[in-house]
Amino acid sequence: MRRLSPYTLLPLLTLLLPAVMLAGLAIGPVLIAPTDIASSLVERLIESTEAISQNSLIISELRLPRMLLAGLVGLCLAICGTAMQGLFRNPLADPSLIGVSSGASAGASFAIVFGGLWLPMSGGVGLSLVTLGAFGGGFCAVIIVYRLATGSNGTSVSTMLLAGIAISAFAGALNSLFEFYADDDMLRRISLWQMGSLDSATWPKVFVAAVAALLLISYLPRQSRALNALLLGESEARHLGVPVELVKQRLILLTALGIGCSVAVAGTIAFVGLVVPHMIRLLIGPDHRFLIPGTALAGAILLIVADALARILVAPAELPAGILTALLGAPFFFSLLAHQSMRGVGK
Amino acid sequence: MTIEAKQVCLKLAGFQLLSHIDLIVNEGEITAICGPNGAGKTSLLRVLVGDLAASSGSVYFNGKPIADHNPQKRARNLSVLPQHSSLDFPFTAEEVVQLGRIPHQTGVRRDQEIVDEALAAVDASYLAKRFYTHLSGGEKQRVHLARVLAQVWEENDQGGRFLVLDEPTSSFDLAHQQLTISIVRSLAQQNVGVLMVMHDLSLAAGCADHMVLMRCGEKVAEGNPAVVLQKDIISEVFEVDASVQNHPHTGKPMVII
Repeated sequence: MRRLSPYTLLPLLTLLLPAVMLAGLAIGPVLIAPTDIASSLVERLIESTEAISQNSLIISELRLPRMLLAGLVGLCLAICGTAMQGLFRNPLADPSLIGVSSGASAGASFAIVFGGLWLPMSGGVGLSLVTLGAFGGGFCAVIIVYRLATGSNGTSVSTMLLAGIAISAFAGALNSLFEFYADDDMLRRISLWQMGSLDSATWPKVFVAAVAALLLISYLPRQSRALNALLLGESEARHLGVPVELVKQRLILLTALGIGCSVAVAGTIAFVGLVVPHMIRLLIGPDHRFLIPGTALAGAILLIVADALARILVAPAELPAGILTALLGAPFFFSLLAHQSMRGVGK
Repeated sequence: MTIEAKQVCLKLAGFQLLSHIDLIVNEGEITAICGPNGAGKTSLLRVLVGDLAASSGSVYFNGKPIADHNPQKRARNLSVLPQHSSLDFPFTAEEVVQLGRIPHQTGVRRDQEIVDEALAAVDASYLAKRFYTHLSGGEKQRVHLARVLAQVWEENDQGGRFLVLDEPTSSFDLAHQQLTISIVRSLAQQNVGVLMVMHDLSLAAGCADHMVLMRCGEKVAEGNPAVVLQKDIISEVFEVDASVQNHPHTGKPMVII
């Protein structure tokens, strides 16, 4: 397969993103013309609360936070996946490998089962208890894995993978234990949460995701040359002047934060973190200087599209977005792989 | 300017891998380390470039303890080619060589010129746009050789340049073995210090100014190849029955078994 020039792909994605964002606002059970979207937003800003129209309410209270959340979560997941695949030197590494997703699931289940579920309890900034439980669970998992894998000789990536598997198994067992104590309604909520959905988007959640995304896009691109060097191996990267331990430490903590926040606000949305980096790498090659912005844009686009489709495919009901990302992305990935092996081009 | 080991010992998991090694690698000279499998050649190399910390003794790079250097600045003057590479991402060969310019801030255009020259030097210009993952073992090794060459391609004002190669010719055919030797020689003429681990004694003797024979973590003999490569020393170190002859053209010692 011939590579696409990053100077073609990146502008293309940059143009596509606003178009997709607009579509994300327009599409839903109630179609709102793009021309009305701007006026709705303006109306929301100037009119008093009683006077605004239904469309304006839909846009500002439902679709705008939801579309933004989808984009930000997609961006975080994809960019963290890219960093992790580079760090682990494995094109198929997944954020769930170091236990974040399963830790977060266990935390969320715990909150659902034991957290006074009929009271819509609120945490400090209007985030639900489930969100906080998920974030806590995910972050704890990473800290344990990181501590286990860090010895006097620095952080061992292979130990980290193994520790991640162990923690995932342990968190999975905890999760089952909580499910064992749950009643039918709780079970339904747990399983819906695990599918990943954006339907409960609120402005505080958008804010959390935005902070995580901002941290990631301000730090990761500066590490792109270090990540390129790391693909050669840690000792080789050191001989290319990369302060390997420092870079590893920061990347692990930052990706844990990014994925932890994403999972906390949107549940486990599989596939984006694994496949978006892989897809973009197939298209433009493994150079992180282009890969990081490319995956950030593509992750946001993919999740906004998936969420928009999730709203209309089975309207008036809604599919969880996590199911759709896999349904949308997997065939595209298959076709890329098939295309590639047909031409006899390896990974 | 030198890489210098003083009384270096290395103990890993209870095994004594290196005992009391003294070694000086001078700039502008080719130093070859030879010895049987498990003699500690690669361990010594890894201690000398700072990959492993010596259990006792010390290593100095350009006069300063190797660990005290700023990593990026040190990388401008010390490049290391390991025995194996685990790179498994579809960079083009050219992009792999570009990685060698990471420590430098010479700008994209100059970097590209150096990358092209380095690829040409190892007879790999034709591989530039091919995917690294599709190359043969020997081609991959040449691309990595070009990468470490590109890293110390130009002189700078921060001290002597050193190139450290661990069995650089292990998967090369005869022509590329010879090419490697001539590259290394021309680098030494530009005052780069070269340190190599080599298995082929005759090949090492043909290019090295200084030769070190190791066995069981100890330095057994050291000096000019003509001095080191004596029949009795070789039989003792390698436990083979060998004879030493002089090369008909160059007069350098050749080991025949």
